[in-house]
Amino acid sequence: MKIVESQNALLSNYEVYQHIVDQRKRNTAQNRRLPGNVHHVMTEVLAYLREKPSPLETQDETKHYSATAIPRLLEKLREANLPSELTKGELLSILNLRPSCSALLSTAIEDMEERFDEEQQNTIVDIVGDVLGRDETAGDAGEEMDEDAVPSVENGY
Amino acid sequence: MFILTKIADLVQIAPDDFRKQSYAAVEDNINAKYANKVVQKIGLCICLWDVLWASEGLIGQGDGMVNVNVEFRLVVFRPFQGEAIAARIADQTPEGINLATDFFDDIFVPWTELPEGSEFEPAENLWVWKDEDQVMYFDNNEMVRFKVIAEEWHDQTPSKPVEVVEATEDAPKPTNSKPPYRITGSMNGPGLGCCLWWE
Repeated sequence: MKIVESQNALLSNYEVYQHIVDQRKRNTAQNRRLPGNVHHVMTEVLAYLREKPSPLETQDETKHYSATAIPRLLEKLREANLPSELTKGELLSILNLRPSCSALLSTAIEDMEERFDEEQQNTIVDIVGDVLGRDETAGDAGEEMDEDAVPSVENGY
Repeated sequence: MFILTKIADLVQIAPDDFRKQSYAAVEDNINAKYANKVVQKIGLCICLWDVLWASEGLIGQGDGMVNVNVEFRLVVFRPFQGEAIAARIADQTPEGINLATDFFDDIFVPWTELPEGSEFEPAENLWVWKDEDQVMYFDNNEMVRFKVIAEEWHDQTPSKPVEVVEATEDAPKPTNSKPPYRITGSMNGPGLGCCLWWE
């Protein structure tokens, strides 16, 4: 065994979720049985990602997350003209946590209080809510997105 | 939380796997070897992401195994420092709180990293956070958010057998109970701690 690259890319929870769901679909279609350990860990990861407070909890019905949602989120955040740029890790955290208030946003963004004022924090929360959906308004018709687009690690971040 | 790691390895396909499609045999082989295991300084491997390159299969002398050199990428659980993650409270001691996710159990939050004003209740064996007359409990099995502050790696290489000398029978046995990968977390800060508090 040789580690060629210990960190080739960062994955968002959504990409992992979609990968596991796709693998399972394929295995059922081809009637394949996976080795026990993979089956086990995949089931557990999926259970974790589908459990509150994970924003992927209602992904099956609402399809808030999609391959196009990620670039749209980045685009909107760029348009918002924030005084300080968000790092890759911060954007990834925002994507994974889908913060619904500024207290939760502060877990994703370092030194948030100093970098953004209250209004800007609310702007970020609103953008996240608009693109990735909110807990209360699950099933919002305007948020339906193309589901068969392929997720890509390389895109955007 | 998850990363991709690129690995090159020799995959040996046993003859009884020849009935499988070759890509399926390679995939199963890699998954069986890595999934749900910790690779030191890499993280907890979840499953295969994609195969980047594979050599021709070569059969060596003596056994019927097909040897294939494969370069592939794995999905690995390796949260970065400062990342906030959700987990459940598994167990509490005066030293701190043990957390677990469905697939990873070795997360520890020391008492120094609990919110200021936290106290341990020995009677109920749990931590409470007292803040401005409000008492909030860290209940077992509760979903919490924590921030990753450090990680520890312990190589699981078997240690040499120890010669048993009768006089030292009472001495504590050297145990290999350290987990291969342990995350230390913090729950001190806004948005951290029980998820219910912030809803």
